[in-house]
Amino acid sequence: MIRRLLFMIPVFLGVAILTFLIGNAAGNPINLIRLGLRNPNPAVLDALRRYYHLDVPVYERFVFWLWDLMHGNLGVSISGRPVASQIWSWAWTTMELQIISLFLAIGIGIPIGIYSAKNQYSKADYVITSVAVFGFSMPTFWLGIILIIIFSYDLGWLPSSGAAGISFAWWGNPVLDQIAHLILPVAVLTYVGLATIVRLVRANMLDVLRQDYILAARASGLSDRRVTYRYALRNAISPIVTIIGLGFGASLAGAPATETTFSWPGLGYAFTQAASNLDIPLVQGITIVITIMVLIANLVTDIVYATLDPRVRID
Amino acid sequence: MNAMSNRRGANQWAVAWRRFRRNKSGIIGGVIVLFFITIAIVGPYLAPYPPRSYAPLYQGDAGQPPSLKHPFGVEESGIDVFSEVIDGTRNDLYVGLAASLLTTLIGIAIGAFAGYFEGIVSEVLLGLTQIFFVFPALLLILLFARVFSILVFKGLGLTLIVLILSFFGWSGISFIVRGETLRVKQMEFVQAARSLGAGSMRILFRHIVPNILSPVIVIATLGIAGFILTEVAVSFLGFGDANTPTWGLLLNEGFPYIRTEWWVSLFPGLAVVLCVLGFNLMGDGLSDALNPRLRE
Amino acid sequence: MTGKLLEVSNLRTYFYTEAGVVKAVDGISMDVGKSETVGLVGESGSGKSVTAQSILRIVPPPGRIVEGSIKFQEADILQKSEEEMRMLRGSKISVIFQDPSSSLNPVYTVEKQLTDIITLHQHVNKREAIQKAESLLTRVGISESKKRLRAYPHELSGGMKQRVAIARALSCEPSLLLADEPTTSLDVTIQAQVLELLKELQAEYEMSMVMITHDMGIVADLTSRVTVAYAGKVMEVADTRSVFTDPKHPYTEALLKAVPSIRRTRVLEVIPGNIPNLIEPPSGCVFHPRCKYAKEICSREVPALEEVEVGHSVACHLWRELRLEGRAT
Repeated sequence: MIRRLLFMIPVFLGVAILTFLIGNAAGNPINLIRLGLRNPNPAVLDALRRYYHLDVPVYERFVFWLWDLMHGNLGVSISGRPVASQIWSWAWTTMELQIISLFLAIGIGIPIGIYSAKNQYSKADYVITSVAVFGFSMPTFWLGIILIIIFSYDLGWLPSSGAAGISFAWWGNPVLDQIAHLILPVAVLTYVGLATIVRLVRANMLDVLRQDYILAARASGLSDRRVTYRYALRNAISPIVTIIGLGFGASLAGAPATETTFSWPGLGYAFTQAASNLDIPLVQGITIVITIMVLIANLVTDIVYATLDPRVRID
Repeated sequence: MNAMSNRRGANQWAVAWRRFRRNKSGIIGGVIVLFFITIAIVGPYLAPYPPRSYAPLYQGDAGQPPSLKHPFGVEESGIDVFSEVIDGTRNDLYVGLAASLLTTLIGIAIGAFAGYFEGIVSEVLLGLTQIFFVFPALLLILLFARVFSILVFKGLGLTLIVLILSFFGWSGISFIVRGETLRVKQMEFVQAARSLGAGSMRILFRHIVPNILSPVIVIATLGIAGFILTEVAVSFLGFGDANTPTWGLLLNEGFPYIRTEWWVSLFPGLAVVLCVLGFNLMGDGLSDALNPRLRE
Repeated sequence: MTGKLLEVSNLRTYFYTEAGVVKAVDGISMDVGKSETVGLVGESGSGKSVTAQSILRIVPPPGRIVEGSIKFQEADILQKSEEEMRMLRGSKISVIFQDPSSSLNPVYTVEKQLTDIITLHQHVNKREAIQKAESLLTRVGISESKKRLRAYPHELSGGMKQRVAIARALSCEPSLLLADEPTTSLDVTIQAQVLELLKELQAEYEMSMVMITHDMGIVADLTSRVTVAYAGKVMEVADTRSVFTDPKHPYTEALLKAVPSIRRTRVLEVIPGNIPNLIEPPSGCVFHPRCKYAKEICSREVPALEEVEVGHSVACHLWRELRLEGRAT
């Protein structure tokens, strides 16, 4: 346990170093910002000069920056607003999307994967595996684009962007409005997540179902349902949990593309805008926050994994 | 079980090839990949318009939907989508193949060392791999791409993209290689080689690496698919090279017009899906062929 | 033939795979009486394990029982519903598998695996089930049974794991035990202990046992009758003594010769060739490609199982002419 927590430190440091370094690629962040922005606001630039401690050598700057980071001071974005205060609501919006999709993908994906494994070589199995392969061969955001074209523009059933209606509420009231806005992005993320999960569950279940102890369980008179879920799935689930956990981390990191497509006001969308504008403080702040989120996700995954598999105990 | 071929010694590659030939999805994948490679090589000579050409604009065809003259339609700016998709094939394949090759080489180097040597070297390399593995890759790639495109005089360029992608993408293979090296390290033929006086490097590269190639080949193939997808995302978000036609760039140019000119978003996307699908299927087929899980 | 606990007649179990139809069991018949131990002998691939799976009807797909009848306690198993089968499995008929490392579920404790079965077939509450499990462990020779109950399979040695597997199989006092190579993956010294244990338990529970093995030594030690199988078909059936002293089938003779003997120094004879392709088995007698006595007729016609004397049958064209070498043991 301790070891795992300790490990997060070098990772965090690694990202911090990289982020810091790239920010200083042009000598110092101010130069970089200037390259991106035509008419920077002088007051903001001054504030940033102080924030970045440009009067001291590089390594000291890093320590100052890190110190500020740990205390929640992420500086000001070039728009003048402090970075930290905006990140919270963006993070929330991103998590809303990611977590709902994750649970849907798991809830739908696992039963389908099990069904596919138990009925290997059947028509249903072929259909499922084919659809799954397509699912993880397509860029997530592209699927989003296609769905927007069909459902928003052609059919007009669903909103095409944002997390909530601006001028009016879809479907009547604010709650339904939120749901309406969630449907397309969640559908896209869920489908792609499903594809991986179904393939994974299927492969692992096939392996496990081949094992002697499954045969032994059947030979002891246990019902098929019991054998499939309590015995087979229980054994197959561990590696699946790890990959789901890692995949969730990757999904968080990949949020920029999906969120941009739907103009979903989360961390990913904010990152894309910020990076385009070379809003270095904002970019650095978001990167750090997302990294922390990924680390937490990994930690949770590890804990869940250890709980499920007695052969691996939290050291 | 079927008797082994009696004609000549069937080495593992011959066996795997025979198995691959029987694998339906692997063959389909292989065909698709060959198709795209062909397009990459000859396509640009057959494309109606040169890369990034605005000629259709002057012909009054800007923003036209698909037609016989422009099978995939024309962009708002006058660029013919069909030609661009063809031209982009070469570039996307280059990125995918180059990045995969590079990450494989790095991954083998680091992973094999991490697995073979003990002590501090191994620990450090393993730690490095783990750290890079957890990085939010896409974010950092986007960031690096943006900064470099500002700083580098002639723009980003595909090769730089390949380097950035590889810098953040080698850790996966490295893990696998390390695991396999650990496994093979304890096999007797390694001890035999050592007892015959072979040095570490020789053992590593002459004996161990050839024996871990199977899973590495599979991952490298699947990696091509992954890198293409990453490049598409990077270009779509506008962080790629704006002067080199890639499928992602097309999607980026088409995005503001998805309402009116859906063809600019549809066809390049289909190309991506098909190409990635091909590599994924081929990777699956290779996996089945190289790692037999025989039943009964 | 009343009074037989188990009667298998002309069982055929095929596997419908992508590569073709694998005829794993192709016409096997055998029977087991009360409190009898019958041996089912053959190399791997002879169909022994699949026979056991067929008896319990747990043949994994793409396998299917295509023909034959299996009568257990006078009732045809193949006619029973899945519900009825589940009531038989683990309670009236049990199996022990070869490798206890893979036949015990790695993620559950010993206690859980035992009590699952006990509570399934018997009407006892959890506490009683745990007590039963405890005494079972003691009965199979595991000391400190309370402690062992809480252990996970990977924390136990090979011999102990197999004892746990035996405990699991015997937890509901079955009438028939199918032992599929129960000692093959154990150390030699442990093998002897486990076999002794099985003998004791059989006497105590008045069980019938089918001992599936390729080890003639075990056959000599435990069984009263033997069925010799090859490539899914029966080659010879006899009481154990006759199989050893007066084998009538070349395959049986070869099996006997392949066991090293301390007493006589002679060349260890190996059976040449490989097990046959079960998708396209050899024509005529399945064994003919590897048989040193094979004649022309052997590649043409499939030999029927003929009775040589009472209780001794053989499937060979040449049994009348051959003078085969047995063992004096």
